[in-house]
Amino acid sequence: MIRATLILALVFAGGAATEAARHASPAIVGWLGALTFAALAAACGLSAKRLHAPDDLTEPREPHGPSHLEPLPQDVLSRRGVFGRIWGLALGAVAILGVVPFVALARRPSPSGTAWFPGARLVTPDGKPVRVDELDLGGVTTVFPEGHVEAPLAATMIVKVEDGLPIAAPGREGWTPRGNIAYSKICTHAGCPIAIYRRASYQLYCPCHQSVFDVLRAGKPLSGPATRALPQLALDVDAHGYLIARGDYADHVGPDDWWSTI
Amino acid sequence: MIARRIARFFDERFGSNAAVRYFMVKVYPDHWSFYLGEFALYSFALLVATGIWLTFAYVPSANGAYASVIALSRATPVGYLVRQVHHWSAVVFVAAILIHMARIFFTGAFRKPRELNWIVGFTMLVLASLTGFTGYSLPNDALSGAGVRIADSVALSVPLVGRWAADVINGGGYPGPLLMSHFYTIHVYYLPIAIAGLLSLHLGMLVYQKHTQFERDPAHVVGRRFWPDYALRTLAAFAMSVAVVLVLASSIEINPIENYGPYHDWTILNPAAPDWYAAFLDGALRLGPSIEWTFFGHPLPAVFWPGVVLPTLTLALIGAWPWIDGHFTRDERAHDVLVPAASAPIRTGAGTALILAGFVLTLAASDDQQSRTFHLSVVWLVMIYRYAFVVVPLLGGWIAMTIAREIHLRRVDRGREPERRVIYRRNAQGGFDEEKAQSI
Repeated sequence: MIRATLILALVFAGGAATEAARHASPAIVGWLGALTFAALAAACGLSAKRLHAPDDLTEPREPHGPSHLEPLPQDVLSRRGVFGRIWGLALGAVAILGVVPFVALARRPSPSGTAWFPGARLVTPDGKPVRVDELDLGGVTTVFPEGHVEAPLAATMIVKVEDGLPIAAPGREGWTPRGNIAYSKICTHAGCPIAIYRRASYQLYCPCHQSVFDVLRAGKPLSGPATRALPQLALDVDAHGYLIARGDYADHVGPDDWWSTI
Repeated sequence: MIARRIARFFDERFGSNAAVRYFMVKVYPDHWSFYLGEFALYSFALLVATGIWLTFAYVPSANGAYASVIALSRATPVGYLVRQVHHWSAVVFVAAILIHMARIFFTGAFRKPRELNWIVGFTMLVLASLTGFTGYSLPNDALSGAGVRIADSVALSVPLVGRWAADVINGGGYPGPLLMSHFYTIHVYYLPIAIAGLLSLHLGMLVYQKHTQFERDPAHVVGRRFWPDYALRTLAAFAMSVAVVLVLASSIEINPIENYGPYHDWTILNPAAPDWYAAFLDGALRLGPSIEWTFFGHPLPAVFWPGVVLPTLTLALIGAWPWIDGHFTRDERAHDVLVPAASAPIRTGAGTALILAGFVLTLAASDDQQSRTFHLSVVWLVMIYRYAFVVVPLLGGWIAMTIAREIHLRRVDRGREPERRVIYRRNAQGGFDEEKAQSI
């Protein structure tokens, strides 16, 4: 019986090797491998069973401690003071030096702010500039500043709402030409992309932790764990009818940390 | 014959046969639950074996990572299979550690003199989770990239040093140019080497202190010899764990990054959820309060509480449990005999409560999908889960404790469990001394 399972293991292993060489599907190779090891497990189990070993063998346990030692010899005792507590400082010095290479790995992050600049055209991820009348009502697209596609933290979402809809954002009048509203796409909670726009309720929704932001009220968080509004990008239209940014975001983009100014 | 000659060669030079004999005749207690840790051990071996092979193909750079993993999967079925086996082994590894740890906890195997081994094992759980997370992120696909982004914001949220720590990992502001190569180094060198070191320590302590057992003979190890009984059993456990992982890897596709696409910081999948062992953290982030305090103009982001404070406190509680347990049971003696979970109702209740808390948070990590299935708003679900996070562990822990106490009392009635009596004797000072119990 044990011999049969071992032979079976050999056959399965050979089969796995052959199938892998023939570029068969991974499932076939994997199952043959699994059968090989299952046969080996069976062989081991059967051998263990055949042994009929007594299961009540015993071995004495020694006490776990403490040790009972003679006092230290006089010559050791008299010189023990060499290793005083002060030598702990040496350990500290070595530990600090050990951390130095890791400290050095931290590079100064790029200066605060994103790649947006005054007059920057809004382009889609494939580099196409966006016209002011390009989006249909309820439409949405991701944009970057022209020449800086995929720049970190620059990802922005434009949402098209009805032109003239009352937008409660004091001090931001004229930021939304023809109902194009732009918000940072990086969630202020944990940095996920705010990928989903619910056009019926004018809400932006983050699929990571379900924070919901109000498009018509300066990107304020409505529910979920986010605490800070999505930064809004002030838009304008250039002479050719393309959407441009009036400048960089005024607010901090992305999740906060201790040193970010909000 | 050859084995004997090799043994003689070494014995003539090192006297090694004495050590070999010591290990061969050593007696190990036998119980099915003692193999749980071995499943963790063998899935780690499988992880190392497949992981080293995967480094042949992987390109640790922001632009090359995803393409290299896809190319590996497409080049040969074995490449795809090895990646699947590697990921499934990681899942089995973490799961086996958790179940093994639960066994240790509920039977009181962590008690003196084995507290340090509890700490070592618990540290390995943390390192295994970190290794899992960094490895899961290496393909730089759309799903794992979002996870890294979240981890980055959690690191950022730590007061004072958060930005520095995040910059070290990123090699600059997020998404840093060195993120993938740093993750690669962490995943392939630092963490596995640390785990291997701790694993040796874990097993070394186990052999030196001898394994605990259920048989009530504190003076002897009762069980089977390593050679050949236990050796065959552990080999069977090894072959079995490999077979199980291979079956999983060849039947259920895990992490199909081909469908996710490469990561950009402006795209994401919906729904987005992490690997199951990190899901409780994601659930905590979803349930966390939306409060951002500022201290003298310095913000303390909302993710700090569920992302940093909660896991740190939980880990501290788990790590310190042997001492907490010892303090409350007023027990300073060394133990080699295990306690059935029913005979330690408070410990059983506490462990159950902790597991339930983790379970609630894990469930909360898919609240968006539940909202779609059950037509409930996410806001409602978050509210329900916030209450459940407090109520379910307390209630469940209390129920577990009550059941355990009941089972224990019935066993005592039937004479299957020794009744624990505490005997006080008057001492010379007129006070009372507690007489040390003779049993376990």
